[in-house]
Amino acid sequence: MATKACLPRIVHTPPRGIGRSILLTLPILLWSLLMFSHPQGAAVADRLSLIAGAITGVFMTVLFFMMMRTGTTYRWRRYFFVSVGLLFPVGFIHNIVAMRGTMGIPVEEMIAGRTPFCFMPIPLLILPAAFTRTLVFPGSIVPSGGASGHGIAAMVGIWLALTLVMGKGWCSYACFFGGIEEGVAALPRRAKIRKIDPRWRYGPWAVLLAMVLLSLALFEPAYCMWLCPFKAVSEYVAARNTVGLIQNGIFVLLFAVLVIALPLLTKKRTQCAFFCPFGAFQSIFNKASVFEVKIDQARCKPCVLCQTACPNLSLTSESVAHGEALLSCMKCGACVDACPRQAIVWHIKGTEMAAKPERARLMFLYAAWAMAVMFGGSIIAQGLVTILHFLPLGGI
Amino acid sequence: MKLRAKLGYTGAGLTVFAALLTPFLLYGLFSDGFAALGLHVDEMYSGGPKIRTIDKGAYSITVHRAVYPHMLQTEKPFVQLDWSPVSALPAHVSDLVDVDGDGQPDLRVSFEVPKDPKAPLRVDVEPLTPRFEAMRNAGKERFSRLIVRVDNSVLVRVPLASQ
Repeated sequence: MATKACLPRIVHTPPRGIGRSILLTLPILLWSLLMFSHPQGAAVADRLSLIAGAITGVFMTVLFFMMMRTGTTYRWRRYFFVSVGLLFPVGFIHNIVAMRGTMGIPVEEMIAGRTPFCFMPIPLLILPAAFTRTLVFPGSIVPSGGASGHGIAAMVGIWLALTLVMGKGWCSYACFFGGIEEGVAALPRRAKIRKIDPRWRYGPWAVLLAMVLLSLALFEPAYCMWLCPFKAVSEYVAARNTVGLIQNGIFVLLFAVLVIALPLLTKKRTQCAFFCPFGAFQSIFNKASVFEVKIDQARCKPCVLCQTACPNLSLTSESVAHGEALLSCMKCGACVDACPRQAIVWHIKGTEMAAKPERARLMFLYAAWAMAVMFGGSIIAQGLVTILHFLPLGGI
Repeated sequence: MKLRAKLGYTGAGLTVFAALLTPFLLYGLFSDGFAALGLHVDEMYSGGPKIRTIDKGAYSITVHRAVYPHMLQTEKPFVQLDWSPVSALPAHVSDLVDVDGDGQPDLRVSFEVPKDPKAPLRVDVEPLTPRFEAMRNAGKERFSRLIVRVDNSVLVRVPLASQ
């Protein structure tokens, strides 16, 4: 009761008119049409792709419309992000099992350079590549058939482009793993563990440093080999011996603790906040992004609602007093939406604090959502194709 | 409007423009740029460059350059030999292989070729020079000591003996 009485009065912006919201959504509708219109419609698979693309396009457009209509970001982005997190394993696992019959990576596939490459090992590859021009990953630079997908160069290319646009926003609009824990964190009504030692936020940096050095020393993607919790829902080291069994045990344990149990208890993205080395690496690029989250101290009455809402421990009392989120801010919009006084705003570097925050939000959202439609949308569509493939759709 | 604010808005506009260019230009540009860096996948996985092919009539044996581990890598140095095409291999292969090309055989490699492509393979390697380690009924033990079928080839990796 006492806490409730202390809460400041919530001042929400009135919703935008429907007509204006539709107008603002129109570019995203056109972008979705461009991204999901596949001209070839003869084969069954292509027809399924077309249906999945249409569903995804409508889904992404409606979410953007709701962002425009309500003036809020987090809730609608979360629908998208959780969908990516849930549908990525569906499409991915189906593909690799169809191609090689197992989720485990056989030695043959590693030797043939057909291990699919995700973005997680990118920071681990840098030092070995710099010193020896060698990529310590059993994949191939260009596609080599099978499950190799588009190859290492394609993933690095898409990561560079999206990082240029969003900085650490990658972790809220592009990462195809984070949605799982964000979905799990959304399940409980209240956090059981509310007090988290802020020093935990150094965890990802410690893991990053350790993994980068280990990858250089052992000449293997150490994080992928030993610590990646998402191996539990993608592909894992084929357990040929005791070491393989231990590796897979670690993957499952870390997934259970960091992606399921702790998000349920804390309502935070604990894998991202405490552990993810890629997230720490990606934080560096927040410095290069023109978009940021700022706190207007003239309006802020320290109610800690923003700190409670932040899923990544990116706001502390010190950072709020300093008027900005920490380097690890994922630009998810949770704090902006949670602030009852609209003291936390989207901001473009160099501009005045009070200079049209909605303009900054719109510019960021157009860039981020365009990327979300292109990258995350294609993952959603792929997952839907898999589901449609197993549904009895008669003639379709 | 101050110069800093103008620069900020210009940067934001360019960011939106970059987002629109990503699927049509930036993605390809960055991917091609990365591919052109001249990096290569660790030879512990890829097996090292091919240096010689030994013709055996219906099939051939490709010899790769020896691969040595980096720093604390926990593998032994090895040489990879590829028998291909699998379809032309007899049910039982037992070949003398001249790895270093000096005219003298260095190894005798023997393995069965089951008809089922998914059946596990086993190999015996008898070193004829002290440069190589023996392998007895070996399967897929380590990257530096194995026999596997990859596409239309049977790959055997023979560890080099410690000097």
